[in-house]
Amino acid sequence: MNAFDYRAPATLDEALALLREHGDGARVVAGGTALVTMMRQRLVLPDCLVSLRDVEGLNRIEAASGAIRLGALVTHRQAEVSPLVTERLPVLAETFRRVATVRIRHMATVGGSLAHADPNQDPPVTLVALDASVEIRRAGGRRELPLRAFFRDYYETALEPGELVTAVTVPPLPPASGAAFIKFLPRSAEDYATVAVAATVTLEAGGERCREARIALGSVAPTPLRAAKAEALLRGARLDERLLRDVGEAAKGEVDPLTDHRGSAAYKREMTAVMVGRALTQAWEEARRASR
Amino acid sequence: MTHRIVGHTIGRLDGAGKVTGADRYSADVTLPGLIWGKALRSPLPHARIVGIDTSRAKALPGVLAVLTAADLPDILVGRRMFDMPLLARDRVRFIGEKVAVVAAVDPDVADEALAQIDVQYEDLPATIDLAKALDNGAPVVHENAGAYEGAPKERPHPNVQSVLRFKLGNVEAGFREADRIFEHTFRTQLAHQGYLEPHAGVVAIDADGRVQVWASNKMPHRLKELMSLALQLPQEKIRVNLTPIGGDFGGKGSLMDLPLAYHLSRVTGRPVKMVMRYAEELMAGNPRHPSLITMRTGVTNDGRIVARQVKSLFNSGAYAAFKPAPSVHLGGAGMGAGVYRMPNLLIESYCVYTHNIPCGHARSPGEPQMVFAGESHMDMIAKELGLDPTEFRRRNLLKDGDLLANGHHLEEVRAKETLEAALEASHWSTPKPGPWIGRGVAMTHRHIGVGFTNARVRLETTGNVTLVIALPDTGTGAHLTLRQVVAEVLGLAIDDVQIELATTDVFENDSGVGGSRVTHTGGRAAYHACEKLKELIAAETAKLGTPGASLAAIAQAAAREGRTLEASHFYDAKTHAAVTSFTAQVAEVAVDPATGQVSVRHFTTAHDVGTVINPIGHQGQIEGGLIQGLGYALMEELPTEDGRISTLNLGETKLPTIADIPPLTTVLVEDAVGPGPFRAKAIGEGSISAVAPAIANAVADACGVRILDLPITAEKVYFALRAKEQRAREQQS
Amino acid sequence: MNRTIRITVNGVAREVEVPTYRTLLDCLRYDLGLTGSKEGCGVGVCGACTVLLDGRMVSSCIALAVFADGHEVTTVEGLAGDERLHPVQQAFMDCGGFQCGICTPGQVVAAKALLDTIENPTEAQIKEWMLGNLCRCTGYYKIVESIQAAAKAVEP
Repeated sequence: MNAFDYRAPATLDEALALLREHGDGARVVAGGTALVTMMRQRLVLPDCLVSLRDVEGLNRIEAASGAIRLGALVTHRQAEVSPLVTERLPVLAETFRRVATVRIRHMATVGGSLAHADPNQDPPVTLVALDASVEIRRAGGRRELPLRAFFRDYYETALEPGELVTAVTVPPLPPASGAAFIKFLPRSAEDYATVAVAATVTLEAGGERCREARIALGSVAPTPLRAAKAEALLRGARLDERLLRDVGEAAKGEVDPLTDHRGSAAYKREMTAVMVGRALTQAWEEARRASR
Repeated sequence: MTHRIVGHTIGRLDGAGKVTGADRYSADVTLPGLIWGKALRSPLPHARIVGIDTSRAKALPGVLAVLTAADLPDILVGRRMFDMPLLARDRVRFIGEKVAVVAAVDPDVADEALAQIDVQYEDLPATIDLAKALDNGAPVVHENAGAYEGAPKERPHPNVQSVLRFKLGNVEAGFREADRIFEHTFRTQLAHQGYLEPHAGVVAIDADGRVQVWASNKMPHRLKELMSLALQLPQEKIRVNLTPIGGDFGGKGSLMDLPLAYHLSRVTGRPVKMVMRYAEELMAGNPRHPSLITMRTGVTNDGRIVARQVKSLFNSGAYAAFKPAPSVHLGGAGMGAGVYRMPNLLIESYCVYTHNIPCGHARSPGEPQMVFAGESHMDMIAKELGLDPTEFRRRNLLKDGDLLANGHHLEEVRAKETLEAALEASHWSTPKPGPWIGRGVAMTHRHIGVGFTNARVRLETTGNVTLVIALPDTGTGAHLTLRQVVAEVLGLAIDDVQIELATTDVFENDSGVGGSRVTHTGGRAAYHACEKLKELIAAETAKLGTPGASLAAIAQAAAREGRTLEASHFYDAKTHAAVTSFTAQVAEVAVDPATGQVSVRHFTTAHDVGTVINPIGHQGQIEGGLIQGLGYALMEELPTEDGRISTLNLGETKLPTIADIPPLTTVLVEDAVGPGPFRAKAIGEGSISAVAPAIANAVADACGVRILDLPITAEKVYFALRAKEQRAREQQS
Repeated sequence: MNRTIRITVNGVAREVEVPTYRTLLDCLRYDLGLTGSKEGCGVGVCGACTVLLDGRMVSSCIALAVFADGHEVTTVEGLAGDERLHPVQQAFMDCGGFQCGICTPGQVVAAKALLDTIENPTEAQIKEWMLGNLCRCTGYYKIVESIQAAAKAVEP
């Protein structure tokens, strides 16, 4: 790594002021699992590292009018084992649990993961399916953004210079809903997904037809994406093999994967269809149980 | 025959230093004034070095030296064939070749210095593809390879490093005799040994001007010889101090960066430590050779093999320097006939130069490649003949007295017993529990390793015995095994035997660790040394006239007269024993037809073994080798494009994790017929080579798809299944 | 740029001056002389560098030493406490849960953290927790056995 200045502010305002002061030469670090790795490879050479590790107030997990609010410094592990998250949004706890290894999850933070914007990461996929939104702060201002609009491209977000993610808020699922997260790992048990799917299904009164469904896909495009065309096919429909095939095919048409070590683009497209079918089947089953 | 200590289940008593972290590996060695060395590596597969500017690097605070080839003598190094410069002189031949080294106060400053070195390259055409390397007009990697010391004579093409041929009978005649002839071609991938300890070493020049070395190298005496040649110093000036090694699997027998650490130490006057980053291991660490193997076999209608012709190409990369065999080839080339009798056989094997990473030895060198080809080929032939794959094998298995391609006659052949043991334990003949589930069998055999070792045993005044050896601990548990041998022969408790690890100053020579030889050679050396010590003790006891005297008393009596009771033995197993060790494995897999994903539901491994000295250690070697084979079969790879390896971190090379291991059944077919102490055989390289074909055969059984190139990924199976379905649809219409 | 940091390592307060770019692993190994933790992959994947930071297992090769300023670190050297060997260490010896030993410090630290977190873990729980501790020598079978044996040994 290069020689850099290291600051560990105690408050958010101090942190934001430091970012404004140092501009491009500063990088923010929380868990460091991505950033320190890149610094060791000399891919990133900051003049100043601004650590958020000691900043007060950013690591709470709290209920906020039915929604769950995760502070940016909540670690993956904290989210995974949180009673609030496991009870109200088990699919989200389950998603955090699938990330890397326990060691990484003890350090990597929710906010850091979002800001890093690696489209192979798992939590953004489920968060996008759950219609989460992010809180963003800068020196002298704040804004909120739906997570769908937060990711712009590979490793690129809507964050402006001097801005930080401070929390992510996840609304509850409507009644008669089910959700599933599938991480397809055809190589070893520890890997980034070849394809990841997070699906939610909400049933109409009567529990037969789908009122609304959301399908978010990971590792198959520059950002996590919602398969809008596929979702549209589910509205008002009954679940059967034909529907699952059509939805899978539609989702396949919406992705733009890269060929890499985890699979060729062609394979990832095929697996998108397969995994969408599996995630929907699981989510639908859970929704049926919830609507009884 | 049961023994008192040999063969009993005792824990890994040699582990206190490992479970507490107290053991010091090479990277843990520290000396006053130690500085760090790092290497700058070529980004191009073949290029002329136009110029190197090190001035900015030299000016960096904390940098003590920067060296290029211009600062070093024009010396070539190697393990047998000396074709590799210490630093690239006028040209680079692979991405990752060392071009310059720096020494600095810490590794980060060293990295900064590397970034400040400017190298100007002129791109040259490169030979990357194995199959094209022997074409007319393929860019030549070494203009005159035949001129290198240790180079084999035969060179049909400038890009041939070595050729090996094995012949039995007359293949042309054999093929004429055949009712049917089958030919298949197989490919295996570039794969790293995957030891978790990257190459590390410390070199210091002491006050007497002697070069002190600590290195992750499993043949310290050979290392001393090679250092002597590379540094142009007499061997007496060099001492290798043994350290435990964090995994070898064939990959830690070369000089690697040590001569450069020496030169940095020489010019700075400071001890120098060099530790490869794992990215450097993956681009320059002498991994397992990729292969392209064609097998052609002639059989009679009733399933007897009458002829086999094998042509194998091994992609050896830019230098032959990492291969230690006198043939500068891989032992696995000789495994082209597998475990079968073949009256007519011709194996032609080429190790080929390309502008890729130079490859070396990996566990069972050349064998996982050759056995994948051979055992897949057997199943494919069986299927064509309408024969059960086990029956086809039975009709052709080696028997006592058969002649191998290397000219050895075999005795005490347990091929059939081992096969039957695997089939029974795996419930081979029972119906499969469901669709898309398959079983596959594969076999191999291996000679017991040979080499030479010195051992000395010394009776201490405490009554304990010290075994002095110069064999480093690479993790196999050999040190404990050797203690057991000593304890058994001398009638001691295991806790009364300790190891004293010698430096290279103590004994004249030792072939070191490798080739699954240590139980044999180290064990026999220790055994015979103990027999001699027993005689000395008996003589001493007689002299004392106290028949019931304790060992402590005897030693103390001798000590009072200024004598130490000790005995040495040099054991040299010059030729391979006529016994080999057979392995038969059965994989039961499930294929997910929607994704192609292969999961191993169960794995059975049967081994024909001699006396097992340490059951836990023995089983550990079986399990470790097997999971390496599993990784090789299903997930490991270093994909290369235009000579550039794209997986430069260990996470991406996909070593198996704890969650990837299948339920395992081990069967030992025990027979005390080995050449080792107490009739032991060898086990270290027995379980790796047949895993991939057992799985490939099981996949074919499960879903009718035959994968001819490793690793067997879900994607390959998926598209093969879809192609098969498409063909079926076309045939119907 | 150097910083003076204070870390409680294996129960002992240590103070050391390090460059900001010093990893926690390098600080433990070279500045504090605790070479038990090893560097394998250097990217946080293999687990050879596993230490406990405030009781939680982390990859010390991708943690900055300054992250540990004011915190507690437990390394393999501190596992046994006043005993000669922690039950996990004893179990690894009894069952042969190691071979070359380079991954072993990370394995035993991770296993201890597992038993601190989950009493009597199932095989599935063991594999999930230990997923990030690679081993190339053993094939893992005896690591699972060792941890199961250790779990019995620490049972109240």
